[in-house]
Amino acid sequence: MIPVYLQRGALHSALGADLGTAADNLLADRRPQPTSFLLHELQQPRPYFAVAGTQAPDARLDRLLHETLGDTAASDCLLIVASTALDITELEARTTAEGGFHFEHSTALDLLAERLRDRHGFAEAFTLNTACTSAANGLLYGARLLASGAYQQVLVLAFETPSAVAQQGFGALDLTSPSGAYRPFHPERDGLILGECYCATLLGREPGPAPLARLLGGFSACDTSSLTTTREDGSHIDWVMRRALQVAGVGAGQIGLAKLHGTATGANDQAESAGMRLLYPEAMPPLAVLKPWLGHTLGACGLSETLLLLAALRRGALPPLDYADAALLPLPSAPTVIAPDALLLANFFGFGGNNASLVLQGIGQ
Amino acid sequence: MKVIAASEIHGNAGLDDKALKAALSQYLASPPRRIDRLIFQALLGAALLKDKVRSDCGLYLASRHPARPTMGALLDAVCVQQRQPKPFEFVNSVSNAAGFHVAQQLGLEGPNLFVGAGPRVWPQLQRLAALDLADGLVSQALLVVVEDLGDFRVQAVLLERGTQTTVAEDFAALTAGIAALRLDL
Repeated sequence: MIPVYLQRGALHSALGADLGTAADNLLADRRPQPTSFLLHELQQPRPYFAVAGTQAPDARLDRLLHETLGDTAASDCLLIVASTALDITELEARTTAEGGFHFEHSTALDLLAERLRDRHGFAEAFTLNTACTSAANGLLYGARLLASGAYQQVLVLAFETPSAVAQQGFGALDLTSPSGAYRPFHPERDGLILGECYCATLLGREPGPAPLARLLGGFSACDTSSLTTTREDGSHIDWVMRRALQVAGVGAGQIGLAKLHGTATGANDQAESAGMRLLYPEAMPPLAVLKPWLGHTLGACGLSETLLLLAALRRGALPPLDYADAALLPLPSAPTVIAPDALLLANFFGFGGNNASLVLQGIGQ
Repeated sequence: MKVIAASEIHGNAGLDDKALKAALSQYLASPPRRIDRLIFQALLGAALLKDKVRSDCGLYLASRHPARPTMGALLDAVCVQQRQPKPFEFVNSVSNAAGFHVAQQLGLEGPNLFVGAGPRVWPQLQRLAALDLADGLVSQALLVVVEDLGDFRVQAVLLERGTQTTVAEDFAALTAGIAALRLDL
């Protein structure tokens, strides 16, 4: 794949009002204070990482686009909207207000992309929804569309709003953490904490004045063994990571850090552990998990975690995990420092059997 | 890109899931259970082309709307009745659930994308598929578009790498050179 630059990035998350603040909080191991919601019927509380403030979703997305585009003309730019939530919170509010869902309430899945295209004048826009790999696929296909010359720039916009359907749905699947201790790969992990976030990046063929990273390649494919989990032997994850490395022209041994998907759910972490052991039967590169600081930002995690990782690595050492000695994989027990231009492998796996891995190279400040 | 085969299905709004399941059973030996209307529709569109599809095929699926009965059940349960959703309804509501079932039933091993279909969906799907075909990640690409506005329409096209590089504006232009399999339900 022809490398493409992440020229700029913006992140509004529970970890901080902007990307720099979030990176500083990660480096200082300051985790967000969760809010809480009650699981219906069971009336049990579950933690949630909400973004501070009450800005309307449209205003938030507009602000994010302005921050990311800067002085770049949207008329030369493709917009890819990557999200599982889209306008679900509006539908939830309408259903509640009108006492039920009616056929005519249903909005088109491309509604937000079209609205943003009209408001900002993008050359083209579409919505990509592949569950938790949505933004990873947005980066991967956006970069390749850019490299093919179809567009001058590509803006990937990813977000997850505080959806009651998502909160209750993950609760119904028994995937949300009752303890609130978000511990990916811990032997006694008890599930995930959902996180709200809004993020965007501008992709270009040239580095621009302050590039964050180069996207060297990646791969995405569907594991058809189960709708909700991937093969626990890790074979599909291993295959996807190998194909991603091959596309990027990078060997597994050259990777300076692997950012794991690490949802802290039983099956997912087991499968990713097995996949990593297949790819790295002996020594693994330094590993990182980011969901304990951001929450699981679902369709946005491919971008939210990538941006947070890149911003944090430029500023300092990633914090260790206090349960590293007990974890299924060799997570860091000491601060992780890597070279600014290290090669990074980033994993994103999701419902619908979608597995994706990206290969990036950091760029120092 | 070269068009290998195409299908077009029209169904009326009165067809219930039982009727869709019966129609699907004509083409698939073991259709999945507990699936929703969008999944039935996507499976039907793809199943008509099943015999020509190889395993190294990418799937590029688009729908204008989610399955409304599923969305309605979820929203009513969560927002009105204050109940937890049924797990299978929640899982089916994930947009790429339909893509998963198509890939599983047809044995597809390639990329599996879901796009919210708008007025330019056919060029968008062709551009995404062209990337994977050009890079040799897959040897075939299956494009499926579901439009359900009461009465529904499912259009599917199977592509291979070829000399044609222009992007067709719509299904009719894309399939102008071949006879699409047609099914009216």
